[in-house]
Amino acid sequence: MSPKAVQYRANSIIYFKGDTSDRVYLLNSGKVSLNYIDIESGQEVHDLIKMGEFFGVKSGLGRYPREETAVVLQESSVMAFTPAEFEQLAAKNTRIITKMLKVFSNQLRRIHRQVQTLLVSDAQVNPETGLYKIGEYYLKNKRYGQALHAFKRYLVYYPSGSYAGDVTNKIVQAEEFVSRYGAAGPAASASPRDARASAPSFDEPAQASSGAHSEAPRPEKAAELSDTAQGYYNAISLISQGKYLDAYKAFKKILEAGSGDEYGAKAEFEMAKCLFHLKQYDNCVRSFSTIVQKYPKHPDMREALFFVARSYEEKGDGAKASGLYKKIMTMAGEDDPIVRRARKALKAMEGDKA
Amino acid sequence: MSPAPDLSMFNRFMVTFRKGDIIFCEHEPGDTFYLIQSGRVQIVRIIGDIEKNIDILYPGEVFGEMAILEEAPRSATTIALDEVKALEFNRENFEVLMMGNPAIAMKLLKLFIKRIYDQKRRFMILTLGDMEARVADVFLMLAENQSIDTSAVDSIDFKTTVDDMAHWAGIPTAQTREALNHFVAQRRIELHPDRIVVKNINDFARFVNSRRKHQEK
Repeated sequence: MSPKAVQYRANSIIYFKGDTSDRVYLLNSGKVSLNYIDIESGQEVHDLIKMGEFFGVKSGLGRYPREETAVVLQESSVMAFTPAEFEQLAAKNTRIITKMLKVFSNQLRRIHRQVQTLLVSDAQVNPETGLYKIGEYYLKNKRYGQALHAFKRYLVYYPSGSYAGDVTNKIVQAEEFVSRYGAAGPAASASPRDARASAPSFDEPAQASSGAHSEAPRPEKAAELSDTAQGYYNAISLISQGKYLDAYKAFKKILEAGSGDEYGAKAEFEMAKCLFHLKQYDNCVRSFSTIVQKYPKHPDMREALFFVARSYEEKGDGAKASGLYKKIMTMAGEDDPIVRRARKALKAMEGDKA
Repeated sequence: MSPAPDLSMFNRFMVTFRKGDIIFCEHEPGDTFYLIQSGRVQIVRIIGDIEKNIDILYPGEVFGEMAILEEAPRSATTIALDEVKALEFNRENFEVLMMGNPAIAMKLLKLFIKRIYDQKRRFMILTLGDMEARVADVFLMLAENQSIDTSAVDSIDFKTTVDDMAHWAGIPTAQTREALNHFVAQRRIELHPDRIVVKNINDFARFVNSRRKHQEK
């Protein structure tokens, strides 16, 4: 079984719009035009097929009615593939598929955008409210782990969003439930992804604690934890409202209370971040340096370096800043959020120079 | 449900989710997509006060693929039903995977073809100015998706809800309900809490076609 080469005369039709067939075509030689009405403009479009180009792929492989009429303009030689033949060819030559994937993803992007423009006017849900409501739903249905996940994602994207305060309180609430019941409780427990996914820094307490009480619930400890947690998340909430000085003070209190748990270390980290936002760049660099010396294997090392780099940049020391951004980019995969931010910052710096 | 092909050389892209973990939430921006290696993934949407199951995916299946197109909000929430191991890809690295794996590339190609078709179909619905015609066209689309030969049948029982219809028609639920109630009054449909019976799908096809032709003029 091998694909057949078919000769077509000028002005003949290979297929009509609306036809259903599973054949995929390849133009060997000659000239073929695909004629169709653009769904957006309503205009008739004539697309010329280049030699060596496939056509009728979507309708052939997807078994949808042809969306265009394939008209032969000059005597042409065309190969007709069955889906099996096409797949065989593509398996040997992956480049064919990757090329098509590019073309199709562009088409998909375009039609997706067209659909979105028609949707804006009406039933669209605002993503911020949507995300908040997902958290609400799971909280109401006592699926605390899932509620926690949704709320935390909310704070990542909308740290000063209109529900930020409410979300912060609900995180504390959900965390209490998770810590009370542990992984064996009625709800799935808080769910750190692997380290590579690098959750935002305020995710750490949940990660650290979920491990601690996933085996056996420790009620007394949990209650004590939640007090510190309450203070910690209140301070995080202050950050989300842009009240950096108040947040700094609140974190300092947690640090000075010296409960010795992971919240102390987290508070110290957040304080250094606040210093950046308070434009105290020298202090920010100093604080992060202390943290990094104290915890050479800090899980948020990249973020710490990022803030140091940002501080240098603000101080006008471009060389140090760009050196640090470059270093961050070597520390994790390119899809790491901090790596991405470093790359963006570096690009922006280079753009300024140009 | 074909078994997942051996992708051990892509282990650096492997992520693990625990049972019950949310992989991503509807509405959050996304730039990663996943190929399930083991475990099941449930796709849900929260509509009002109900969590609606959209689908359950098995090893070898891909989800979140719209993310490689643009950082559009996720259109559904995904939850790990078991411990799930999946390869996580993004726009930058997916080509690496595709080059070495024609079978997966072909799977993704077919998925894209289906998505393009679905989006075009959706676009056609949304270009209808008449809201009742839009709702009727959603029924036609649902029939096409179930490969129902509308020339052979008249009455079709759709497992759909008013909220679903509103989503596809791109109009508010209240307005969708109004259109559906009008169809009920005309005895063209029966409205049940979890399903809608269309008495004569061909009547809807004629109605939509005439509205579309009318619009083109």
